[in-house]
Amino acid sequence: MNPQDPESGTSRDDLVKRLELMEAMIAEGRGFTTHNAWIFVLWGLVDLAGWSWENFVHTRFAGQWAWPICLIAGVVLTFAGKALQKAPPGVPNSIACGRVLTVWAMMGLAMAIYVASAMINHFTWQYSYVAALLMMIGMAHAISAVILRWRVQGVVAAIWWAGGAAIFFLNSHRATSFIMLIEMCLGMIAFGVYAMMIEARKGGRRLTRAA
Amino acid sequence: MTDFDTPNPPRRDDLVQRIELMEAMIAEGRRATTRFGWIFVMWGLLYYAAIAWEVYLPAPAFAWPVCILLGIAIIQAWRWRLKRSSLPDDGPRSRSISAVWGSVGGAITLFMAAAAISHHIAQQPAVNAAVLFFLGLAHAASAFILRWPAQAAAAAIWWGGGIAVFFVSASASVVVFLVASFFGMILFGLYAMMLERRRAATLVQNHA
Repeated sequence: MNPQDPESGTSRDDLVKRLELMEAMIAEGRGFTTHNAWIFVLWGLVDLAGWSWENFVHTRFAGQWAWPICLIAGVVLTFAGKALQKAPPGVPNSIACGRVLTVWAMMGLAMAIYVASAMINHFTWQYSYVAALLMMIGMAHAISAVILRWRVQGVVAAIWWAGGAAIFFLNSHRATSFIMLIEMCLGMIAFGVYAMMIEARKGGRRLTRAA
Repeated sequence: MTDFDTPNPPRRDDLVQRIELMEAMIAEGRRATTRFGWIFVMWGLLYYAAIAWEVYLPAPAFAWPVCILLGIAIIQAWRWRLKRSSLPDDGPRSRSISAVWGSVGGAITLFMAAAAISHHIAQQPAVNAAVLFFLGLAHAASAFILRWPAQAAAAAIWWGGGIAVFFVSASASVVVFLVASFFGMILFGLYAMMLERRRAATLVQNHA
């Protein structure tokens, strides 16, 4: 039996094959995210370093250069880590991987331009500046969550957006700092560690199969 | 869900099928964007209407909420009509694009609502710049997914506007927003609509 769709002429088998391929691609996309989860942890730590440097070292140099130095270090470490990282066997890049990568790359680019423009004009003290950064990261998580149909990442997006909105209402420097701290720990480090745990479990399964 | 974690490399047939699917998805994604070109035009015009209301009409505080809600209502009504009719929906193929625009739309709405309620809009240029960056991000992500230079140009216009907002006065930032809306929304939307019309005409010609 190979019933045809009268409108498109596509057979049922064809549709089933396509669906399987799409599901495989979504699985690959998630695999791609967990494989690169160390980047979330890295950026969480980089942001924490910048935050601690700015808040605990009260010098003019720290106030002016803490964030630029930490952000540039983060970019360098990300590229160095990617160069050293090996692709796992049997996991080719698919459409979902490409789309997730595109979304994060564009978010990174938009954020870099936004942060640079705000720093040059000394607007980084504004609450709305920090809120916009949180919203942008939340956006990338939300888009990835929809593409990969991943609820956990959807929750992470909601955490980022809630933080961004809360900054406007709490309207104080201390509250903004506190929200940033929570976001770094929950939305970056905790999510990254969770994704790395999934990756480690998969790696263990791969080794068991190979043995 | 299929477990793709096998150590075997994919077969040639598999790869060919994937490339074909990828190309089909890109084509369908672009088609979906051109089909929805009117949405870009509509949002561009609504931005203009909101700014005109804010400047020339009474109750300017309602200008943006009313215009944004009107835009959302029109899109929802159209989606509802689409669901009820037998018109084909683009389904999972353009899901990534709708994910991008849906998330950006949601984030902008939440961001602007929070900023407006807490009275941050008029005081901080970072708010206005952020909106331009958000819209640029959506265009850039769509442009890369669909490999579409025209949309990448729209993204560059929005990001250029976002940078400019940091450097100009508050009144000039309104002009920047209007210019970005004209080129990045209205003109891009009209271009997409033109492509859709041309495609429809070609289809009719092929059928004849």
